[in-house]
Amino acid sequence: MASTLISAKLPPDVDPTKAPIAFGRRALPKLSREIQSPELLTQQRALMALCDLVHDPENVYQAVQIGFLENLKTLLLHHDSTVRQKTTEILYIMAMHNVGRQGLIQNAVIPVLTELLDDPEDICRKNTHQVLDMMAKLPEGAVDILHAGLIPLLVVRLKTESDEIQELILGTLSNCLRMEASEALATDAITILKEKLTHPSATIRNKAAQVILEIGTHPEGKSTVCEEVIPLLVSLLEDTDPEVQASAAGALMFATIKPKGRCLALRAEAIPRLLKLVAVENSKARLSAIKTLTMLAEVAEGRRKLLERTDIFQQCLRDPSEAVKRAAEIAIRVIRWKPF
Amino acid sequence: MLPALRPPPSAASAVPYTYCSPPRAVPARPKYRAPLEADEPQKEPARWANLMYDRRVVRGNTYARQAVPTCIHHPNAFEIQRRREARRKALARKRAEEQIQLRTPEPVEGREHVHVQTELYLEEISDRIIEVDVECQTDAFLDRPPTPFFVPAKTGRDVATQIEEGELFDFDIEVKPILEVLVGKTIEQALLEVMEEEELAKLLAHQRAYAELRNAELAEVQRLEEQDRRYREEKERCKQQQMEMLQKEKETMEKIAAQAFAKRYLTDLIPSVFNNLHESGFFYDPIERDIETEFLPWLMTEVEETLEKKTLGRVMLDSLIRTVTEKRLDVFSQKPLPDQVEAPAEEHRPTDNAPQVAAETEAADQAVTADEETDQPAAEDQASHHITFQSEEANQEAMEDSETD
Repeated sequence: MASTLISAKLPPDVDPTKAPIAFGRRALPKLSREIQSPELLTQQRALMALCDLVHDPENVYQAVQIGFLENLKTLLLHHDSTVRQKTTEILYIMAMHNVGRQGLIQNAVIPVLTELLDDPEDICRKNTHQVLDMMAKLPEGAVDILHAGLIPLLVVRLKTESDEIQELILGTLSNCLRMEASEALATDAITILKEKLTHPSATIRNKAAQVILEIGTHPEGKSTVCEEVIPLLVSLLEDTDPEVQASAAGALMFATIKPKGRCLALRAEAIPRLLKLVAVENSKARLSAIKTLTMLAEVAEGRRKLLERTDIFQQCLRDPSEAVKRAAEIAIRVIRWKPF
Repeated sequence: MLPALRPPPSAASAVPYTYCSPPRAVPARPKYRAPLEADEPQKEPARWANLMYDRRVVRGNTYARQAVPTCIHHPNAFEIQRRREARRKALARKRAEEQIQLRTPEPVEGREHVHVQTELYLEEISDRIIEVDVECQTDAFLDRPPTPFFVPAKTGRDVATQIEEGELFDFDIEVKPILEVLVGKTIEQALLEVMEEEELAKLLAHQRAYAELRNAELAEVQRLEEQDRRYREEKERCKQQQMEMLQKEKETMEKIAAQAFAKRYLTDLIPSVFNNLHESGFFYDPIERDIETEFLPWLMTEVEETLEKKTLGRVMLDSLIRTVTEKRLDVFSQKPLPDQVEAPAEEHRPTDNAPQVAAETEAADQAVTADEETDQPAAEDQASHHITFQSEEANQEAMEDSETD
């Protein structure tokens, strides 16, 4: 019986590890069938082919339409590591597009991803965390992650995982905690984050400061942050990396809303460092610094110190960024406010 | 294969006749040899072919060999093989001949020497039947010749045409869309990949900018909330303080009013109290009190005594007078006189004014003595009263008593 292979030598640009892709619209349904086949090699080849196809958003849409995600969910728990790795990679690429993200939410993929957090393979775990990170950027995704109870697990893993994965976890946490911080506080996330604030890697310090910022937006988080973290944050204001400085200023912005936080920050000599930050190029750092100084100006002691330095704020009134200008006006107003 | 020697006929009588090679039906010879890849000769079912139609059997008369038509210039393979064998034998013979050094002269130009074996053409007549053992060896199998290329018979007319350059298509124009597609697809793919990453980067940057703004605004909102809360608390406290102050003022006013009233009410208190006390006798002059509490009662008792004495005296006098009067009455009953009536009346009157009459009557008597004792006039009156009804001695005694007293 003749086979379709005419010659024993394959064409030079065909990858033998990938399944051949059908033409046009039939590609994805065929791959969907192949994925469900009992043979391991077929599954792997189909997954490799799919991995290449999902870079195209139209294919993502079609995949979601024909219910690919159900199959992928089953495959997430496959015993073979290559299958799992490829599946998570596919999910990550799908999550990079909004259609994919919506599909992931509708098909409730996130609870299944919880199982993969303990995967023995590094790549699988990294891809899983990448998926979660992408999903957290969407508000519904963040809510989904919160409902799946992933926050305590993620906080625990902050201690054990490698640096790359820690960055991803911190990103996920910062987006999720924007919604609600109580679970994280219950699992004592602040202690772990304090350690991360002194981590050698600048990205991790940056992201840890951002997580603390998000925790500080909630009232119960503010008190915890006030008590423990303010001195560290003030010391981070002089960090070598400008991003870290900006994030630390942002976290301080929220921590100094409460009077207790303000006193602690004043005692930790935050004002001179913040004044230095106001002249920095990074607009985020400037904005956060001005806002923090506004908070500190609510206290009489801070006002006294800042009355001497209002010239800096006058300079900021001519800033290119609109938000910085507004913030500078508000700051000047607060500094000049008198009780009578 | 040379036949083995025939077994001696002596043994033939005991043993049935045996063939050297037993006659057997000759199986059909396959036309082509077995394919190369066959591991063992396939055991085909032996097909018995008709001997008459077997190619190996020479037909016709055997005494006159048939002339095998040979074409020297186009030999077929059969002939080639025979030729090869013949050549080998010839070479061998040549070598033998050379050894014998027999040479035939070289052929003339245009001709060639051909070794011809006349054996084929010679026939020896003898009684003895010429027995020739002929072994037949099948020819070596040949490869199946390749299928001749089938060229169908030509039909139709031959028509020739020649395409000049530029008639069919203009390559440059026609290749454009194809090229465009090719290049376009490649670039599209490349762009997709690049844009994917760039899109992500842009999204992230956008998100970060938005997050910055959002955080700043949120912080502002919370600060204002906090400020508002503080102001409200401050206001509440101020109000509270104000209310307390008002309360206190009211109380103070009431207190002041009460104080003023009380003061006014009580300004008279002390004088009135003192007055009352004074009036109720709490503050007393001790001498006065002493006089009042002791002296005066004593005085009064003395006066009483004196008066009693006087009264007694007068009563005694009255009784005396009465007795006297009664006696006189009795006496005068016999001789009633209006003087005696007046006398008791006069005596009564003097008895009423006894102390005064006595004092008047005795004033002269006692004038001297009374003057001496001015502090006890009443007592002296009483004493004098006592004296009047008593005898003069008694009077004198009384006077002495009173004097001594």
